[in-house]
Amino acid sequence: MAPRQSTPPAVLACGEIRTCLLPARQALDIRSAAQLLGLRADERVLLSERPGLYARSPDTLTGVDCPLPSANGARIRAVGTVTAHAALTEGRVLQTSAHCRLPAAGPDQRRPWGEYLVRPGVVEPLGRLPRDAVAEGVLGGGRHGDLDVGLVADGLLTRLLRHPLLDQRPPFRSRPTRLRWVALPAEPGEGPSLERFTLAEDELRTVRLRIPEDTDGAGLAALCDDLALHDWLLTTVVRMLDGIRLGASGAEDTGAVVRALRPAVDHLLHLWMPGARVTRELAPLWDPLEERPGFTRQWQALVQRIRDQLTLHAIPAPHREVEPAP
Amino acid sequence: MSDAVFRETAAEPRTQSVPLAHLSLELGHLYMEDFEAGPGRLRRHFEEVRPWAEAARAAAVARAGGRRARISTCFLVDDYFTRFATPAEVVPMLLAEAERAGLTVDYLARESGCAVTGKTPVAEAVAGRIVESPVPGSHGGRPPTARTGWLANGERAPVARAPQAMKRAAPWQPPRETAARRHSVFLDTELWNDDADGHRTWSCPFLAAVWQLARLGLLRDAGEAVLVPQQHTGTGFPDDWDDLPSLVRLNPRADPFSAYRTCSIVPNRFLPVEHAVRVVLDQIEVDPGALAQVAERSGKERTAVPDSVADRVSYVFYAGP
Repeated sequence: MAPRQSTPPAVLACGEIRTCLLPARQALDIRSAAQLLGLRADERVLLSERPGLYARSPDTLTGVDCPLPSANGARIRAVGTVTAHAALTEGRVLQTSAHCRLPAAGPDQRRPWGEYLVRPGVVEPLGRLPRDAVAEGVLGGGRHGDLDVGLVADGLLTRLLRHPLLDQRPPFRSRPTRLRWVALPAEPGEGPSLERFTLAEDELRTVRLRIPEDTDGAGLAALCDDLALHDWLLTTVVRMLDGIRLGASGAEDTGAVVRALRPAVDHLLHLWMPGARVTRELAPLWDPLEERPGFTRQWQALVQRIRDQLTLHAIPAPHREVEPAP
Repeated sequence: MSDAVFRETAAEPRTQSVPLAHLSLELGHLYMEDFEAGPGRLRRHFEEVRPWAEAARAAAVARAGGRRARISTCFLVDDYFTRFATPAEVVPMLLAEAERAGLTVDYLARESGCAVTGKTPVAEAVAGRIVESPVPGSHGGRPPTARTGWLANGERAPVARAPQAMKRAAPWQPPRETAARRHSVFLDTELWNDDADGHRTWSCPFLAAVWQLARLGLLRDAGEAVLVPQQHTGTGFPDDWDDLPSLVRLNPRADPFSAYRTCSIVPNRFLPVEHAVRVVLDQIEVDPGALAQVAERSGKERTAVPDSVADRVSYVFYAGP
């Protein structure tokens, strides 16, 4: 067999991220985070303390050999590896992220496995890749048996959640979210752009990006991790405020409001830092989300509401009741 | 984000580089039974090896295309499965017999160094880098037939269950080699086993795969090189294997230990082991930083190195004891 070009250029990248609250009473310090995320004996966990505590596991690979999901029903077989890593933000929010890149075409037959392993995170189609149909297929979710990078993220999350460091007593109730993304090449000469961010049913978000050809795969995954983290924060705090009866009076209700909102202050409000770990090239992708609907705008409004409620409930009840609604 | 003003070293990966020769030529393995058979056994071994060693050198020189080929030789002594004699007894005899056949042993390695070197659990780390070859139909979930401690080159035969009443027994189904060409040569190799106390013994093929990765300059621990040769100083050799470094440079003028390619000259009783080594090497995701260094340096030297790690390894099997 003839030698191949070492890294075929990718024309499609896709991934899926699980974001959840770490099920532990106390947030993990940086050393425990390194222990939790030490997926490999011979590779360090990357630790960062600015602008916040952040730990990222080494990459792990999962081999796949299956049809690609596609919107037009074409069953294109593909072989390769899906890269996955886990990250912990401020010892509190756990994410697992799986992704792969696909070249425009691959060999007609499966190659020896060792050849795929020297191209980590690349899944090669047998023959030509129907790029746009596969991109739509990924976002829409494939049929059973199609490539599912979400399963890889799930598998890693399941493995981490069993870790003995976790006491399974989260400080408040929350739901995990899934963010599924695809990145297609930008027009020549164009910068990266975010085409669509969709809140779908069932805690699923889908993101469609355009990126220049030379965009670094790890940087792209980091951007999507960042989007998923902040979307989870918004979702979680919105739900927290949703569940309480505001404007109610009485000491019992005061206690309930403080109890419901306090975890946000203790665990979440300091985590909002959109773009902090995104490369300079991809940082502008946050702009459209900030413009409309305005992720940070919504976050600030939520934070203000929480602070106002807590201030209000800090006022002794008789005074608070002076000016109730008509 | 290396263009940034602010940097955190703990947040950035790094990989130490190692010097590389063109060819790492292995002149043999020594096991207890070889040693017990006396110096005559080693003498015959080296006599058999010599013409093949010359052929391997000639092939490396031809591949270097007129430039000087950097070739180092090495020899592996088993001190892992059985402890026999002492370095003071074994090493001088080994070197004398090699010299008698006109061969020079540049580097001497202990097999236990492939399991643990210093405090580095080398074998465990390599085991953590196994990425199993997916059987067709693998779409991201864990394969149901995965078996801890074993590695196959294909799909295992389904487990036969005792037939239940009123149900016919499922007919036998063969295992299948994933890369089969028409017919399968299925191989399932044991990587380790644990005794009752939980002590793990690595299998010979698995340690041999680690040995190949060391010779290919592809082993790292947290980015640091593993199994770095120590220059032999002094005249004698110690009385305890543990006092001998895992990898000793015996020839001060030797070319680098690690190389773009390896060749091992072994008697053909090693054939099944080396087949298993290939199955293991084909399913190890080596350190990407180390892989990139080899690719970059070989590119600068215009030396072709196969993509697949398993294809960088070659053998001469001779009809021997």
